[in-house]
Amino acid sequence: MTTETFNEKYAKLDRLQLMALAGLMLLGAAFVASATTASPFEMEKVWFAQIWFRQVIWYVLGLGAAAAVCLVDYHTLARWSLVAYWAMILCLVAVLIPFIGQTHGWGARRWIDLPFFQFQPSEFAKLAFILAGANFLSRPPDELKQPEVFWQGIGLMMLPFLLILKEPDLGSALVLLPTGLVMMLVAGTPHKFLVRLIGGVGIVGVLFVADVLFAPQHWRIPMQDYQRQRLLVYFGANFAPANASAQERSEARRQQLEKSYQVRQALISVGSGGIFGKGWRQGQQTALSFLPAGAAHNDFIFSVIAEEEGFVGSVVVLTLYAVVLFTGLRIAGQARDRLGKLVAVGVVTLLFSHVFINIGMNIRIVPVTGIPLPLLSYGGSSVLCSLIALGLMQNVYMNRRGY
Amino acid sequence: MLVFDELKKNDPSLRLVAVVLMAGLFILLAGLWWVQVVSAREYQAHLDTQAYRTIRIPAVRGKILDREGRVLAENRPRYNLSLYLDDLRSPFAVAGDRLMKQARAGQKQAIAAQEKKLGRSLSKTERKQFAFTPEQVQKIREQARVQVAGEVVAEISRKMGEPLPFDAAKFSRHYATELAMPFPILQNLDATNIARFQENFIGGLGADLELQSMRSYPLGTTAAHVLGELRQDDSSIAGEESFFNYRLPDYAGVTGIEGKFNAELHGRAGQESVLVNNMGYRQSKDVDTEPLPGENVVMTLDLDLERAAENSIVNRRGQDPIAAVVVMDVRNGDVLAMASSPTFDPNAFAQGISREKYQQLQDLEAEKNRATFENYQPGSIFKTVVALAALENGLNVNEIYHVEADPLRAGHGCIYIGKNRHKIEDTAPPGPYDFKHAFIHSSNAYFVNAGLTHAGIENIVRIGKEFHLGETTQLFAHQETRGNFPTENQIHSGWREGDTANVCIGQGPVDITPIQMAVMISAIANGGTILWPRLVQRIEPQDPAAGGVTTNFPSGLVRDRLMVHPRSLQILRDAMLADVESSEGTGTAAAVNGLHIGAKTGTAQVKDSAGRLIAYNFWFASFAPFENPKYAVVVMVQSKELHGSGGLVCAPIAHDVYEEILKKETTGVTKALALAK
Repeated sequence: MTTETFNEKYAKLDRLQLMALAGLMLLGAAFVASATTASPFEMEKVWFAQIWFRQVIWYVLGLGAAAAVCLVDYHTLARWSLVAYWAMILCLVAVLIPFIGQTHGWGARRWIDLPFFQFQPSEFAKLAFILAGANFLSRPPDELKQPEVFWQGIGLMMLPFLLILKEPDLGSALVLLPTGLVMMLVAGTPHKFLVRLIGGVGIVGVLFVADVLFAPQHWRIPMQDYQRQRLLVYFGANFAPANASAQERSEARRQQLEKSYQVRQALISVGSGGIFGKGWRQGQQTALSFLPAGAAHNDFIFSVIAEEEGFVGSVVVLTLYAVVLFTGLRIAGQARDRLGKLVAVGVVTLLFSHVFINIGMNIRIVPVTGIPLPLLSYGGSSVLCSLIALGLMQNVYMNRRGY
Repeated sequence: MLVFDELKKNDPSLRLVAVVLMAGLFILLAGLWWVQVVSAREYQAHLDTQAYRTIRIPAVRGKILDREGRVLAENRPRYNLSLYLDDLRSPFAVAGDRLMKQARAGQKQAIAAQEKKLGRSLSKTERKQFAFTPEQVQKIREQARVQVAGEVVAEISRKMGEPLPFDAAKFSRHYATELAMPFPILQNLDATNIARFQENFIGGLGADLELQSMRSYPLGTTAAHVLGELRQDDSSIAGEESFFNYRLPDYAGVTGIEGKFNAELHGRAGQESVLVNNMGYRQSKDVDTEPLPGENVVMTLDLDLERAAENSIVNRRGQDPIAAVVVMDVRNGDVLAMASSPTFDPNAFAQGISREKYQQLQDLEAEKNRATFENYQPGSIFKTVVALAALENGLNVNEIYHVEADPLRAGHGCIYIGKNRHKIEDTAPPGPYDFKHAFIHSSNAYFVNAGLTHAGIENIVRIGKEFHLGETTQLFAHQETRGNFPTENQIHSGWREGDTANVCIGQGPVDITPIQMAVMISAIANGGTILWPRLVQRIEPQDPAAGGVTTNFPSGLVRDRLMVHPRSLQILRDAMLADVESSEGTGTAAAVNGLHIGAKTGTAQVKDSAGRLIAYNFWFASFAPFENPKYAVVVMVQSKELHGSGGLVCAPIAHDVYEEILKKETTGVTKALALAK
């Protein structure tokens, strides 16, 4: 009897989504391998010590975690969501403390080093936020009309947002905003609240960009230099202040070239791929280290795929993500209750935000923000979280019929 | 659509989300299409400019051969020992890290010392003062590279037992500008060094031998002036790609054949491209276009005659005399030998010449081809022209002319001309002279009289014009003077008898070059045909198997014909024969057993700008064999000796050349007979 129920549940998995996920993981392993061929250091290692194989191990672990998540009904998980949420908040606070939080030379304190794994709390915080947010927003729609509830929801979102921003990790922080907003929208938060919120965020955003671009020195929002510069690079603005001397100006130009290096190289990679690409492991940009060795298999994995497989490869990647996202929306539509729908919508929005920002950054329609491409970029935390998030979604699908 | 249908109809917010996702994905798709399909070419070009460096590979220069195919100029391999910097990347990095570590330790110490001094720990801003600027880090890395390269060079030096200089500044410059190219340590290794390098297998150190082609003149100074000079020049010639990141050393001909036929000899440079990584280190190499080898130039020179002439100058006149010899085939204008002294070794220019050596050559004007590129007064050899003009205008060869005795110089004649009886001295003794006697004694008085009373300046100038005196022979474009010869205008305005008298004895406004003289003698010998001299027979592909066309330059191109009666030429040639063969002749020193030579000797004073006598030009202009003329030999020597004459100074050199000619003729005949059998 038990077996039968299990089988029945198993059979109810969203197969289409699983196939798309399998495709993404295959691509991920193949192109992490390709992106790391340039490093002679990497190639000297035995195959099972190489990065691509580590990525495969993370896939396996992630699938295990996802399966584990599927074993427990999402309602049970949601009941523990606040615990997870506050545990992650604690981690996010801890990561800001030197000695605990590690920078790994990137200038931002984002990691906690565990013996086997560099743990990145911000990734897991996104998950915890989705669960906690869904749990919070799944209350009766009438309650959502109360401003206190609305502001509590905003607070739930802003707390991890600010902590992650402090690391600083602008990209990871930013994806929380659309995720939270979309969940609020779908939950039935009155539109006037949302319109005001979006309007407010929009105005703040415009003011922020205007400040970065045009404000005199002492009017500027305190911000890491590199973040400011990334924004300036994106908007093509001049680094030099208006009253700079010729020498300062040329120094600024040099700096700008240097800062825009990654974007430029990513664009060259993507563009030079053409329609059909140069073939797997034939990409010159990584082979010649124009794409920095540390970034190619990470945040810039898409430009490796795009260079080697061309527009065709890009379309394949986009299609796979589209399948995952729209099956996710279908799951949201079929969910048994609002909690399940919100979880599914949250996961879909989170994934979409990652995909849009990451690929957008590769073709320069979004500023450079260090944000991974789900399942394709190398990285334990990212892979684990993505797979757990998708496990949650399957969980919602499996339990769509009720008891 | 599948997904939308399944969304609950009454859930507009979920539908909104779906639409936004759709739009987002569409934006990405459109962006990718723009970047990867529309602008792909632009980005590929970006990639190429940042990842490729092009190198100009010079073509193998064509050879220069003599008329029998003997090599006068060729190329030989030259080995340079070079450091391949891409092999030294990791040593550079290791040394750089080590130095950086030291620098950081020093920085820490400095901070600690400062903290001790202040008695407190430094604030963040105070610490910033101790931070390294990017320039400092660069400098440390550079220092590390210089150190590594210096050590490698020292190691190679030790293994090869050969002191190798290492110039740190040069290395840094090379690293900054030519990283993708090997760094030269030692140029032009000799056989011993190559052997030592290979025995000790120093290749593992990042150094290797690099092969270049070097111009070589195996016979040294032989025909140096005709071959000409090269200079190092790697610029693109017409028809080649004009932009290269790097250029390998190449040559350009400046003078002589190397200069005149540079375009043909040079060939077309090829292109290699090197793939570089983001640091500029070399990753791999590709040959885009193979260089197209230059063509061979086959000259009319005969190496044996050339050497005979050059050796004779040295043997007869000693070290670095001022002299020129031209040997020409009177039948077709082929230049068989062209020697000029002082000479130089063209290898020195191809390999790089020292300043002192160059100064020495400059002082001697050794680079000047004296057979074509200097005007000389002809002196008595010009009497051939006067003789022709007089004979054409009724000079009776048997008519006796009495040369007056010079009252001031016993045993010498003289002639007085004009109203104020200006005296012209004669080297010949006074007494009665017919044409032949006057010719072989080279009597000034006789020829001044013949010129004034029979020929007249108009006719002398007419014949001179027919010989194309005062015009270049166009053998070399930039290394030929045209000489001087009176023009029609000159002789019709302010011209005096004294001027005519001067011209009659080859002085005054008459200057010629040895090559002009050779053309003139050839015309006298061949019956009056003025030929264009020819120095190059043909230009042919270096490798006939690879195809290509051979360009032949026609021989015996006629420039003009002398408008004189054949009898006049015969009389002149008879007189020239007598000049060598009669016991009274001035050119007897040239005589060779078994060859009948006709000649005229000459001497002209060389005066400086203040009119002081500083030297003499001695001449010997000749042809042979008398019965069936084939060769014209013109010898010119400029010297300070007082008692010299064309016969004493130049005739012996001509003698040596004729000996060689005779030797060639007889072996040629033997060969022909052997073939006939």
